Amino acid sequence: MIRWWLLLLCVPSILAAQDPRLARLDPETRQIVAALVDSAQRAGLPVEPLVQRALEGVAKGAPGTRITAAVRRLAQDLGSARLALGESASAPELEAGAAALRAGATTDVLRRLHGVRRPPLTMALAVMADLVTGGVPADSAAAAVLALAPTARDADLIEFRRAVERDIALGASPATAATVRVNAGARTASPGRP
Amino acid sequence: MFEDRDEALDRVVRHLRRPVAIDPTFDRRVMAAIETPRRRTIAPWLAIAAVVATVFIGRAWLTGAGTASAFRFELVAPQAASVSLVGDFNDWDPHRTPMTARGGRTAGTWTAVLPLAPGRYRYAFLVDGAEWRADPRAPAAQDDDFGTPSSVLTVERS
Repeated sequence: MIRWWLLLLCVPSILAAQDPRLARLDPETRQIVAALVDSAQRAGLPVEPLVQRALEGVAKGAPGTRITAAVRRLAQDLGSARLALGESASAPELEAGAAALRAGATTDVLRRLHGVRRPPLTMALAVMADLVTGGVPADSAAAAVLALAPTARDADLIEFRRAVERDIALGASPATAATVRVNAGARTASPGRP
Repeated sequence: MFEDRDEALDRVVRHLRRPVAIDPTFDRRVMAAIETPRRRTIAPWLAIAAVVATVFIGRAWLTGAGTASAFRFELVAPQAASVSLVGDFNDWDPHRTPMTARGGRTAGTWTAVLPLAPGRYRYAFLVDGAEWRADPRAPAAQDDDFGTPSSVLTVERS
């Protein structure tokens, strides 16, 4: 009986190491990526984002060194996100947390967000990362999301991001747009498109 | 009267003393039945599996995981001969999600509709099998590791 349980515990690791999608990588890169995926699996991190990042690199014709560097960096960010968000964080939360960290948020910001908002935190983290990508300074984006997080719904956060993007497109400075919109409070929801 | 009762009593006693014919294989059959091991039943395992499945399905239902919503992706590319939607949702396979030109290729608007479960997705458009373009309507991917643009889409729980 114990043998069966041990086999069941090993199956995910075996499957990850033998993920047939990784066959699209060259042998050397595949070996490194498979090792990174296996390591992440054993650490309890989600491996699908790592596989997808490797496949993105292949599709875009990136050299193996860039692919392995990107996968390794993402694995580290996922690990940092889990340290900040806790063991119970879901895979989408960790992935969004990794994106927020990559955008410039600190692990302390992630911890504070975890403290003020009920899960799932995916949308709050994603909006934080998207604001930074849109030009809002990382500390302003973090402050804005932390201010909205306790009460805003996911749809409110999406609308907030869109409102800030509109203001920036109309000529407002990114930091000012975020601050003004936080104070105004964006409450209108219109989800259903990127 | 007393004689009749004696006769009846004698008849009973005779009946009781009569040797009983027992099947000679009876003992063997009884012992064989006792010694036969109980068959293993899978019923308890099925019950455990049902409980586990119920817990997992219930959790997925409560958290909204797996609830896919349809998303429409659009790119205006009047000069393109073909456009593909490529991303985390189709293993970055350029052949899996070709976009269709609305109103014919000359109209220039290429669309694709995909059901997506809650989560965060990276994607890009591949124009004519060679040129990668980000989605102008979506946030850009922050960590652009491969030198070409990508976009991100975060699907909230419905």
